[in-house]
Amino acid sequence: MIVSWNWLKQYVPLEMPVAELEERLMMAGLNHEGTDAVAEDLAIDLEVTSNRPDCLGHLGVAREIAVLYDLPLAIPEAAPVASGPNISTLTGVTLESPELCSRYTARVIQGVKVAPSPDWLIERLKTVYASKMKKGTAWTPVNNIVDISNYVLLESGQPLHAFDLEKLHSRRIIVRQAEAKEPFLAINHKTYSLDTGMCVIADAERPVALGGVMGGADTEVSEKTTDVLIESALFDPIAIRTAARRLALHSDSSYRFERGPDPEGVDWASRRCCELILELAGGELAEGVIDVGSESPPREPIVLRMHQLERILGIAIDRDEVVRILTALGNDPQQVEAKRIEVRPPSWRADLYREIDLVEEVARIHGYDKIPEDGRVPMRASSRSRQDRVVARVGRTLTATGFDEVVTASAVDEKTSAVFSPWSDADPICCDTPMLRGAALLRRSLIPSLLSVRRTNESLSNERIELFEVARVYLPISGALPVEETMVALASGNGFFEVKGVLEAILERLGIQEQLEAADFESAFFRSGKGGELSLAGERLGYLGEVSDTARKMFDLRGEVVVAEIRLGLLLQLANLVPQASPLSSYPAVERDLNFEVQEEVRWAELAETVDRVAGDYVEAIEYLETYRDKERLGPGKKSLVLKVVLRKADGTLTGEEADDVRKRIEAACRDQHDAVLRA
Amino acid sequence: MALDEFLVELDGLTDSATESLNAALDVDSLEAVRIDLLGAKSGRLKALQKGLAAIDSAEKPVAGKRFNEAKQKIEAAYAAAKERLTFAVAQQSAAGFDPTEPGCKPILGHLHPITQTIEELKDIFARLGFSVADGPEIEDERHNFEALNIARSHPARDPLDNFYLQTATKSAGAERSEWLLRSQTSTVQIRVMDETPPPVRIVSLGRVYRPDTADATHYPMFHQIEGLLVDTDVTMADLKSVLRMFCSSYLGEDVHVRFRPSFFPFTEPSVEVDMRWQDGWIEMGGAGMVDPNVFEAVGYDPEKVTGFAFGLGVERLCARRYGITDIREFFKNDVRFLHQF
Repeated sequence: MIVSWNWLKQYVPLEMPVAELEERLMMAGLNHEGTDAVAEDLAIDLEVTSNRPDCLGHLGVAREIAVLYDLPLAIPEAAPVASGPNISTLTGVTLESPELCSRYTARVIQGVKVAPSPDWLIERLKTVYASKMKKGTAWTPVNNIVDISNYVLLESGQPLHAFDLEKLHSRRIIVRQAEAKEPFLAINHKTYSLDTGMCVIADAERPVALGGVMGGADTEVSEKTTDVLIESALFDPIAIRTAARRLALHSDSSYRFERGPDPEGVDWASRRCCELILELAGGELAEGVIDVGSESPPREPIVLRMHQLERILGIAIDRDEVVRILTALGNDPQQVEAKRIEVRPPSWRADLYREIDLVEEVARIHGYDKIPEDGRVPMRASSRSRQDRVVARVGRTLTATGFDEVVTASAVDEKTSAVFSPWSDADPICCDTPMLRGAALLRRSLIPSLLSVRRTNESLSNERIELFEVARVYLPISGALPVEETMVALASGNGFFEVKGVLEAILERLGIQEQLEAADFESAFFRSGKGGELSLAGERLGYLGEVSDTARKMFDLRGEVVVAEIRLGLLLQLANLVPQASPLSSYPAVERDLNFEVQEEVRWAELAETVDRVAGDYVEAIEYLETYRDKERLGPGKKSLVLKVVLRKADGTLTGEEADDVRKRIEAACRDQHDAVLRA
Repeated sequence: MALDEFLVELDGLTDSATESLNAALDVDSLEAVRIDLLGAKSGRLKALQKGLAAIDSAEKPVAGKRFNEAKQKIEAAYAAAKERLTFAVAQQSAAGFDPTEPGCKPILGHLHPITQTIEELKDIFARLGFSVADGPEIEDERHNFEALNIARSHPARDPLDNFYLQTATKSAGAERSEWLLRSQTSTVQIRVMDETPPPVRIVSLGRVYRPDTADATHYPMFHQIEGLLVDTDVTMADLKSVLRMFCSSYLGEDVHVRFRPSFFPFTEPSVEVDMRWQDGWIEMGGAGMVDPNVFEAVGYDPEKVTGFAFGLGVERLCARRYGITDIREFFKNDVRFLHQF
């Protein structure tokens, strides 16, 4: 809301410097956005919150100033003198849609002389409108009738509309719902296709205004107009908002109706408008007013218990000051007692209907600066959640291994969504509105997003692109809320086993003892044979694999990529964040290296399991050393697996013979189970 | 063996040994020479020593004396050669060492600046006694609006201002469902109060979503931190004090805060919070006293408890702290950008 400094002076004496007023208003709830000089005047831009439509007019802002500075407020009486025939002989109004328009009033003035507005009126409007104009365009006044209706809107916050009565077919008004696809030629000379649910002001034949949003071109006041009908009405906020939004037709009028003007100000604005027209354009006001629809019910009184102020604000406020503030804001005191004050709120403050609303009013006028900032808030124990601890350890491990954390959008486009979804076959959940260009699907895996980021970095010639993200995926469940599961995902330019090693490091950092297991996982997303499904303690942990060429092409990726995605939930379940110390043997360890020649089909995990099973109590570690393949020396289809067992006794030095016994047991078991031949 | 013969051999060995020891060019070849001459098992000197046994006993003292002299001579030559070569190595490596060359730095990754900011906010609020609470990103209208006192007519509920989700896929005739991506982390307040009796002292952090067109200051997804403190006697002075402590912790110096009146459906009174910083006031976020309607929606008695809530935008705090001028950088994830933090 832009207010004019000179205009405000009509209602309240302004003797303070403008900067001080701006500051004071800001500290009372009207945020100061800026001030421009316009000719001899100042245009002060104030941000008005949606609960304060009363401040969308100069009178409302003047009232706030009067309360803040304890100044008198002068409100024009608005008492036009009627000298014409009774209005019922001139026009009629039918209200067919009271759900869209709760009240409609009309007054008629005959014989007006449409002409340019006087300078004072133009100056007022110019201060408000000039700074809102786009660069390079200047605001121009229309004519005295239209300018007056705008003036009263900016004065009171109540939108008005003036029709050329002659141009209304059958000289009457019908307030009704628009028909589907009904055409309407607006005052901006554009034709709009209306919709049911929108409120039109029609004459006997056609819509002449889109109620509360914009007038029509056919009935606008022109130089030839002599008789005008002044509309002052109340429209349903949601219907107005929907119509303005659907037609992209936002006006000063729709803005105010969306927030709800003063219901008792409807008639005042109408009288004020007629008074000014009679004064500036002449004519004869018809006797009476057409007023259809329902009047708003009287406001219910509110009780403010004095102790509530201290209970909520932490400071006590003197009762006389409380009464002064509430009264000056327009509340009508009903009963003032020592411990309670009962007031009837004013019609223009629909936001005041509970005790807490009065507490806020008193507080903001009294001043939040009076609330102390050095209170003694009692201490309270708080502990870090298990999830936060685990995520921090995961993050520390990944950054220590050279991975950078990224944050990517939760929604992706169709192609990205479809490329990899190992957690769910169900269709992804779709947003009503895309989040980013084309990205309307909630992601079922983080990996495709990481590949997109990789692509971005490749195009910037960034050499090392090691990425991870910790975020949720959204797994659809038919007929129920989707499951949100937090995943840890990695995308790396390193090899499969490097990435697997990083995952193993995460498990170690979390104190997870369970063995990471990998099973073959075939998917078009992974290079054939190079994808694995990971599990821990018999539960699915995630996926790891080399991205296939086809999938890489989809993301336009040049380099090889290995990706992994694991469930944070399972890590949370298995993490051992408070490990217990175990006694350490003080005797030396003995190592034995074993080199087994096996068929290619024998997997390390199987052989290691056998070793572990038969190695006995002395085994401290079974370490994988390498896999050796050589067609000439080993023959085709063969490989050798080299491992080391570390042996140690708790209560004495392990002898060479004892170590050799273990070695022999391992050798025998591996021969029996895997046809493994121990090489020299 | 005759003494003469023995002495000739001994002299010959001494000469050739001295010569080859003096000629050794490096430590490795010196070691080879040492083994050949002085090796304990099969060195040439050892072999010659065995010849002593065959000398007549009368001549043995002479032979023994000469042998010892020869041995000492060879050992001295070896020691000299060794010192010569070791010194040369030391000199050589000192000449070829440049301590100003860069170290072998391990490659470290970086946490995203948003994560770093969130960690810091959680830390500060934990010290002020706030525990972290978590909630879903996909919410129903009760948690996102109704229980937060946001009436159906409130502009914030316009479907075009929210990410409502569809009931089914396009093929099955999609319709707008009653589910949406949360537009604020205040939803977690409701979930916590629904399940926990007072007192409550929590912060919740996470992603929130609003359909804004992405530009330098807007992104359709961003992060919020939301705090809630409910007890029998919480006042606005407590709110101001807690926020002041937070700001002082965050900036590492004693700062002042101020309240400007504002409007949020879920708090009353509602305020904007500014903190004093470098001769000016900077906006922190919104706050207020929990609206009685919110308490009633979660089954708390507003006559028995009071509380405050506040919400801060993580991107804004983070951008200001690190001098980031375009919040889209956060989501582009150029690793060169990430490496700066």
